[in-house]
Amino acid sequence: MEEAGAKPRKGVSCLCCICDNRKAALKRPKTLQQICRECFYEVFEEEIHQVIVKNHLFRPGERIAVGASGGKDSTVLAYVLSELNRRHNYGLDLFLLSVDEGITGYRDDSLETVKRNEIQYGLPLQIVSYKDLYGWTMDEIVKMIGLKNNCTFCGVFRRQALDRGAALLKVDKLATGHNADDMAETVLLNILRGDIARLSRCTAIITGEDGPIPRCKPFKYTYEKEIVMYAYFKKLDYFSTECIYSPNAYRGFAREFIKDLERIRPRAILDIIKSGEDFRISTSTKMPEQGTCERCGYISSQKWCKACVLLEGLNRGLPKLGIGRSRGLDNETEKREMKGRSSDGQTRSIESKQCGTLDF
Amino acid sequence: MQLTLEFGGGLELLCDSVKIHNVSINPENGVGKLVMKDLLSWVRSNLIKERPEMFMKGDTVRPGVLVLVNDCDWELSGQLDTTLEEKDVVVFISTLHGG
Amino acid sequence: MACNSSACQSNCYRNQDDEATVEQDSLRTNKTDRLAATYGDSGDTHLCFKCKAKERMSSSEEGDDGRFCSDCFRSNLFAKFRQAVNSNAMISPSDKVLVAFSGGPCSRVALQFVHEMQVKAHKNFEASRDRSLHVFGVGVAYIDETSACPIPLHEIDRTIQTIQSVVSSLSPPIKDLHIVQIESVYSSNLSDGREKLKKLLDTVSDVTGKEDLISHLRMLSLQKIAAENGYNRLVLGTCTSRIACHVISSTVKGQGYSLPADIQYVDARWEVPVALPLRDCLAQELNMLCCADGLKTVELTKTSFSGINDLVSSFVALLQEENPSRESTIVRTAGKLTPFNFSRIPDLNESNGVPLATKRRQKRNNFKHVNSLSSETFCAVCNGPLNMSDVQTLRSFEAGQVSSILAGTCCSSCQFQILPKDSISQELLLSLLPPSMVARAMHGSPSNSNSLREKIQEFLLSDDEVES
Repeated sequence: MEEAGAKPRKGVSCLCCICDNRKAALKRPKTLQQICRECFYEVFEEEIHQVIVKNHLFRPGERIAVGASGGKDSTVLAYVLSELNRRHNYGLDLFLLSVDEGITGYRDDSLETVKRNEIQYGLPLQIVSYKDLYGWTMDEIVKMIGLKNNCTFCGVFRRQALDRGAALLKVDKLATGHNADDMAETVLLNILRGDIARLSRCTAIITGEDGPIPRCKPFKYTYEKEIVMYAYFKKLDYFSTECIYSPNAYRGFAREFIKDLERIRPRAILDIIKSGEDFRISTSTKMPEQGTCERCGYISSQKWCKACVLLEGLNRGLPKLGIGRSRGLDNETEKREMKGRSSDGQTRSIESKQCGTLDF
Repeated sequence: MQLTLEFGGGLELLCDSVKIHNVSINPENGVGKLVMKDLLSWVRSNLIKERPEMFMKGDTVRPGVLVLVNDCDWELSGQLDTTLEEKDVVVFISTLHGG
Repeated sequence: MACNSSACQSNCYRNQDDEATVEQDSLRTNKTDRLAATYGDSGDTHLCFKCKAKERMSSSEEGDDGRFCSDCFRSNLFAKFRQAVNSNAMISPSDKVLVAFSGGPCSRVALQFVHEMQVKAHKNFEASRDRSLHVFGVGVAYIDETSACPIPLHEIDRTIQTIQSVVSSLSPPIKDLHIVQIESVYSSNLSDGREKLKKLLDTVSDVTGKEDLISHLRMLSLQKIAAENGYNRLVLGTCTSRIACHVISSTVKGQGYSLPADIQYVDARWEVPVALPLRDCLAQELNMLCCADGLKTVELTKTSFSGINDLVSSFVALLQEENPSRESTIVRTAGKLTPFNFSRIPDLNESNGVPLATKRRQKRNNFKHVNSLSSETFCAVCNGPLNMSDVQTLRSFEAGQVSSILAGTCCSSCQFQILPKDSISQELLLSLLPPSMVARAMHGSPSNSNSLREKIQEFLLSDDEVES
């Protein structure tokens, strides 16, 4: 019985179903095929190439920045894009763009990874730091405001920092490492939050075409499992530690649900993205008029952009300024958040990944 | 039985930030056979120092943790029923950290 | 994007353009909370929040049952039901309504409320001198699914007994009870149908696919009972919680396009339009009402399918526990998806005496294309509207090869979880589908050509039940 139950391994392992020659090394979640390493590299890269071509993500001669956090997704993205650029003559000038939030013991370490990547892949690296742009590091901000709302600052500042870095590099587009699991999670979260406006555009593969720097997601259909497998087999150098200011942030219900789903039906991840693309949402909902911030010139629908409002608060010693919704956050809401704490004292929420990663 | 266990993708944080562990495990149930299921419970009680729920859920690894036995996806070798042999290398990688 | 962290509390950065939606959401909950809190401050936390005279039903802080006394709770729930019925013209005096009753608490409340409405209409009828006010008719249907999933005989007997006693103990007007076996979707010969049904389910290997197919068949049975007995409305007890689960599971199955078809108050794509008057009530509230009012319910031990649907249910339950307004938020989000033309009772025009107020409300619910005809094509198996771009990709993909009729007339979700992969098994499945599904496949097939017609002729002739 044991013999029948356990599948053969080692010498008698099953063969790759593509080349029918080498030993299979993994099971693809997308197709359930058993394939060997070499064939995996090939199909993995080819699929991303097809996504790039079909969606016209890049045009010959463009300057493209890869948002590089040093984590698995952006590391693999930088590696694969430089490979494909060479192989298929995209004619792109590729750059690495990193944001230094100024978090000791976290970002300084991950930036070391990015600096190694700069050399390994031969891609010029631009680092923009919160300190330079805003005069504050996250360490200093946290010292002032504590561990509440710090992710709000970080998120707002990062978004703008990336745009500013991209402007410095004079790139035409920013490519980010969002993978299929991230996309599926975002679709679910927008349903759970009742955010129909975002639901309608969260599955777009290119966003911000009306903004200063369009962003694109070449990994939109790429499974997280395959990205990690690829990085592991290729021995790519990536950094994986949680942000010290939002530890355990990835313990989200939605992420866990997606991983549970993947276990019983791997295809579900792509199906969620498909649903997100197919939702019938009338586009009549007005987008707010985009102007520019009077202070810094960044796009903004208000007089001042969000970053400037937050910054003003920090500089005036009123860090609550610009936090939360304009009509103020009720105690009740906070109480409710508190109720979400599980027995082991750690906050559980529907959301998951570390702040920075999804925002990239 | 001598095994090499490797933790990556952030899982090393759960075991004193040590990535590679060379361990010796004696199969308990007499048969001299060790399957992944036994290894997981051994790892949980001997190597994981904090937040075991990051590593396991029920009697298997938490969804989102990849397992490779001798660089081969354990989904191909029978997952929990995979039989381990002397000098095998087992790798656990979390996909849940960072991006 | 907002920062996706639990550690950052609720204050994630949001783009300004999205803020309005979220704000509304939080304002609403905050308002209720604040009211409750204000009231709580005065020290009378045990008194009903509405009438301020009687004791609250439960000590739970969340949900309507925690704030109201049992009378106010009940009338509040009934008001939600009545509002749904009236603003969507679900029931008019000349209608004959079939209530689907599974024995569970949701459909039990649906039956109770429809019954109360009928009793009231009947009283008005008796009171009116010229007896001009019609009273709508009510019937009850129970679908026996023993042939689809094994249920112990004593359990099914107990269920049917309870159903019979519930229906017969309702005060007049008398309601017909239709207890029908699910294999009746085939023909009048039940044992033959039972065999076919078993074989049909055997061809489906995916557990979730099987479970979903059974629910599609259940709907067909209900439609059949309704059509054969002259009913023109089918009322289901589907509540907010159920719809929330459906929203998530449809999303997970890739049915984002057809989702809005299933979650509106009215679904008129069927021969007999379907109404969901409990769409705004939570399962928890309906359970509570059954307990409080002593409404008898019975539920079969659920055969666990351990598939997608179960995983979704436990996920939604977890979310609801974390935030008691989560189910409503999910349904509200999905409600904002553009509805299809058939999401309202058809023939809604001046001539048939629909009150002006109803029409106004319908307008507000953004049914813009009231007069345009539905141009949708429907999936042969699940009857979900097909996304034409999908169908075209599929057809062009399979143009070169001889494919079964089904492949071109099913949504991608049914293709994956219900249709077998090879064309021989697909033909087998086609031969085992109930006639109404075959008819839908034929209707939806690309050319409607003679060759296709011939191909399925035998299946059509083998039954006398072909839908016109």
